[in-house]
Amino acid sequence: MEILLEQLQGIPPIYLIQLVFWLLAGLISFVFSLGNARIWTSISIGFFLILLSQFYLLNKLFHTPTTAAFTYITGTVAIMLITHGFLEYYVFCRTFEITGRKQTVYLTTILLLVLSWVFLAINPEPSMFTVRNIKMVENAIWVFLTLMNLEIIRKIYYAIKDSPISKAFICFGIVFLCILLWKGSELYLQVFQWDRLWGNIAFQLDLDEVGFDLDIKLDDSEEYWRRINVARQVYDYAGLLAAMAVSGTFAFLYKLLK
Amino acid sequence: MFQLPKGNPLFENLAVTKLKLTDVVMKLANGSFTGYASFTFPTATGILVFESGKLASTILAPSQGQSIFGFEAMTSLAEQMVTSGTGTMDVYRLSKDLTMCVHALLQGEALYRSQELALIDIKTLLERVKQEQMNGCLRIYTDEKSAMIFYKEGNPLGFFHDGSQDIDSSPGESQQLAQDPKAKLDLYTTVSADELMSHDLLDVINVAKIWDAAVARQQAELNRMNRELADKDRMQSINRLTDLENQIRTIYIEYVGNVGRGIIDKELTSAGGNSCLLEQERSEQFMTALEKAAKLLISVKKIAEMKEKISALLIQARA
Repeated sequence: MEILLEQLQGIPPIYLIQLVFWLLAGLISFVFSLGNARIWTSISIGFFLILLSQFYLLNKLFHTPTTAAFTYITGTVAIMLITHGFLEYYVFCRTFEITGRKQTVYLTTILLLVLSWVFLAINPEPSMFTVRNIKMVENAIWVFLTLMNLEIIRKIYYAIKDSPISKAFICFGIVFLCILLWKGSELYLQVFQWDRLWGNIAFQLDLDEVGFDLDIKLDDSEEYWRRINVARQVYDYAGLLAAMAVSGTFAFLYKLLK
Repeated sequence: MFQLPKGNPLFENLAVTKLKLTDVVMKLANGSFTGYASFTFPTATGILVFESGKLASTILAPSQGQSIFGFEAMTSLAEQMVTSGTGTMDVYRLSKDLTMCVHALLQGEALYRSQELALIDIKTLLERVKQEQMNGCLRIYTDEKSAMIFYKEGNPLGFFHDGSQDIDSSPGESQQLAQDPKAKLDLYTTVSADELMSHDLLDVINVAKIWDAAVARQQAELNRMNRELADKDRMQSINRLTDLENQIRTIYIEYVGNVGRGIIDKELTSAGGNSCLLEQERSEQFMTALEKAAKLLISVKKIAEMKEKISALLIQARA
């Protein structure tokens, strides 16, 4: 408990608020997944998994590289599930076919997470580079699939424009815009090695020295500090807005389908 | 059609619908019957005259229009028997001579037809009948009454008038009628009874074929009518189902939006068409499918409301 309190005190307030909202969003979406149609289960379980992927913020509780890597893989599973759900919804709008069972969604999710853990367990403990690579892959997938989801949501909205639930898809559109900024800004920082994790790596390995010897400019953050700062602000606030939008959207959806 | 003497009735008021013309003709022919069979239909009267089992004449007189004879009459008689649905048959045995006279009346050679009695010398005419030893029938009539005198070889066989059942031996009514200034006469002659027996219409008319053809035509007509009736029923059923389907579609769209149109179409196709709406089990499966799809679009409360409305329609339709 003490560690938890100490940990919470160590988290910047904006991440703490973000964590609270992700907790809220996770709970609402999980409860929502229980009482609704199969297609909603994929979507809501996916959003619930974002909560698990945000636990990396409590990095003293989950400080091992393996657990950190696992939370990032969980994030990847989350967006894949969400995308699968929206794709299914789009297929329903075009063919009016509903297939599958809720239990299958739950079991597949658990299986994927277990396999991910096994994958990490049977391989050497991930280095800081590996953890950062996994995080970058996660962000790349999030950005790509978020763009795809925005297009799917647009198409779903036009297919069910006059249905009561169509407004919820506008909310999902807002959610994905926030997520695009959130994950996109972090990917941007990672691609140019302006992210905090790279900073830690560079500090620990003293890479500047290596770069000097090899005449490679490893850190140009001094020159682009303004845009780096903007990207970090976008990452912080878009993440917070995404968490709030997900909570709000699921609460709205719950009201619409009650 | 004028009345004929009834002689000795063999059958009276037999329902024609239960008879086959072939059987009737064969029975009378095989029984060496002498007399006539009369068929009375709502729109026509048919008569078959037999002389010792040989078909001497066939006539069919419609209530309106010209009488027809021979093959044509037999064909029409068969059609009347098959199609009329009502009608009676009477069979009367007569003497050979009287049968010959009936034949003359129906199909004999007309020496006079609608001749005004006042314009001819009836005595001279009767002498001519006697002298020429005519076989036949002299018919005297007004608009209200008629009387007949049957002759064999120029001698009167008997007298018959409207209202009587059989042949009289006295000419009372005929004489009275002959004095009416408006009276007219017809005189029909024919060959002798023996000569008449030398011809048999059954040698040239295949009654069985005529009957079978009439039955086949009637059956074809019945089949056509049944088909039309079935088509009409089917169309009514289709229209009723289409109306029901449209009502359900309207309610569903009202709740879930235009996407509901596609859902209804798809689920009806899956259920094997809108006929499922009238069957309890299949319509319940259809409703479950609609509900499953609606769960993705509207609230549980609205689904219950919608289901109630659609179920009411289905119950009403099934009732």
